[in-house]
Amino acid sequence: MSDSVHTEDRLKGAYVFRLYLAGGAPNSVRAFANLYAICQKHFPGSHRIDVIDVLKEPLRALAEAILVTPTVVKISPLPEQQIIGDLSEEEEVLRALGLPQKEK
Amino acid sequence: MTDKKDAAVLERTLSGIEGFDDITCGGLPLGATTLLMGGPGSGKTVLALQILVGGSVRGGTPGIFVSFEESARRVSANGDAFGWDMCALEKKQIHFIDACVRSDVVRSGSFDLTGLLAALEVKTVEMDAKLIVFDAIDVLLSLLDDPAAEYRELYRLHEWLIVRKLTGILTMKIDEGEGAVAPRYGFMPFMADCTVLLTQRVSDRVGARAIRVLKYRGSPHVLNEVPFAIGPTGVEVGSSNGVHPEPQPFEEKVSTGIERLDEMLCGGIYRGTNALITGSSGGGKSSLAGAFIKAACDRNERALFISFDENSRDIVRDLATMSINIAPHLESGLLRMEAMRTEAASSEEHFMHIKRMITEQDPRCVAIDPLSALARVGGGLAARAVAERLIYLCRNKGITVLFTSLLEGSDPHLETTTLHVSTISDSWIQISYALQDGERNRALSIIKSRGSEHSNQLRELIFSDSGITLADPYTAGGEVLMGTLRMEKEHAAQKRNGQ
Repeated sequence: MSDSVHTEDRLKGAYVFRLYLAGGAPNSVRAFANLYAICQKHFPGSHRIDVIDVLKEPLRALAEAILVTPTVVKISPLPEQQIIGDLSEEEEVLRALGLPQKEK
Repeated sequence: MTDKKDAAVLERTLSGIEGFDDITCGGLPLGATTLLMGGPGSGKTVLALQILVGGSVRGGTPGIFVSFEESARRVSANGDAFGWDMCALEKKQIHFIDACVRSDVVRSGSFDLTGLLAALEVKTVEMDAKLIVFDAIDVLLSLLDDPAAEYRELYRLHEWLIVRKLTGILTMKIDEGEGAVAPRYGFMPFMADCTVLLTQRVSDRVGARAIRVLKYRGSPHVLNEVPFAIGPTGVEVGSSNGVHPEPQPFEEKVSTGIERLDEMLCGGIYRGTNALITGSSGGGKSSLAGAFIKAACDRNERALFISFDENSRDIVRDLATMSINIAPHLESGLLRMEAMRTEAASSEEHFMHIKRMITEQDPRCVAIDPLSALARVGGGLAARAVAERLIYLCRNKGITVLFTSLLEGSDPHLETTTLHVSTISDSWIQISYALQDGERNRALSIIKSRGSEHSNQLRELIFSDSGITLADPYTAGGEVLMGTLRMEKEHAAQKRNGQ
């Protein structure tokens, strides 16, 4: 079971992410903040982030082949995309999500 | 582990692989980390899996296999191929974790192993696992792509294992040829408590594997590089420490199959010992081996005839022309013949094969023709070690062995064998050619026979359609007469006796 953080997910074509964290580890906290910021900026009102704490649900992470934390998986729209790290390199994240990259 | 014990000395856990336990002087460090390094295809994964399987089968020690490179299913299938019942093991004793990194994964910023370790923690407790294998840890490290992070995560893993008193095996790829770890992973062997290097070399176009313990924290270990092979039942490591149980010697003597040779040896060779027959090409070594084997089978003893680079059927036919008929014994299963190809494998693999045949056939007498074939490929030093181990193996099992060896080199009087096995052979019979009056005749002499009296005469060896025998010695002017000269002398003697 995952904690639903944001509920503006009923819109069609919403971006749904699953974020695997390790409790309050610094990189986990950063990952959430970065993902939230990207979502607010690029998909305002049409995104959802499901947070899974691997310390609380270790076997789920295993079953879903999550090795490292933090890991974010874009569930929707397809295709699924896995990004590992605290998402501090925003350009990499945007490229992986197929979004236009930040202007310099 | 008791706290009162000296913490510096690591306790060990047997790997279940005899030779490996020999070179590590007792197995893997218990509750510590072992690093297996080697090039691609050097046998790291198989060795790690075999230790895991061995531990769970023998000691009931459950374990976890984390695979970073191959899919868990493939690793498991690998185990099946070696005849380990992975399916049954996976139900309870061994858990596979597929930790293959998806190829399309994108990296952005820092991350760590907390997720994996949290999951492992639960699994470890659930299964009461004692041993964890991290296969291809280098794949994970390359994902981190930052030396500081690599160090940090390995240290995290290492600490995690230590705190939980788990025995860890990490495998890591290194560049073959360099013989050392890539500089960026240079700290790995230092961190691990035991580091083992697996190598694969080609010499004379035959590949041979070797294993060496680079370090073993605070403990003695064998420094030598030792050959190992991967056979149909898994890894076998050629032990080198020379510790062998001393078998009880036999008083009984075994016939060589040639009556007059037995007489020269005062009744034959002792059971459980070995006899070496040397000679140049065409000397009749194989025929002597055949006579020995036939005699064994005639006594109703199980026997094994191993020949290199000659078909078994040809040997049977050739021996039959000398009234040495082994075909019935072959049919009854009392005798097993195995024709091996010298260049088909390294000497270590030949050894494994012979060892397996000995286990299957359970012979009391074995002939190996010629043992020197081992030296033809893959380096003489390795072959010599194999020959010695073969001899020790037979001695420990009380098997009487007759092996032949080709004499090489320009000077036949040097009487050295290619493998220098003459020094460890118990009896040594030499067949040479005697050139006399325009004839080339075979001459046989006994160079040594341990613990037994033997004739010091040089005798003519005669092969005929009625068998193999030795002629009576006739000397003239200090020389042993052979061939026509001997026959003339014999006739003369017969005439004298007749008168």
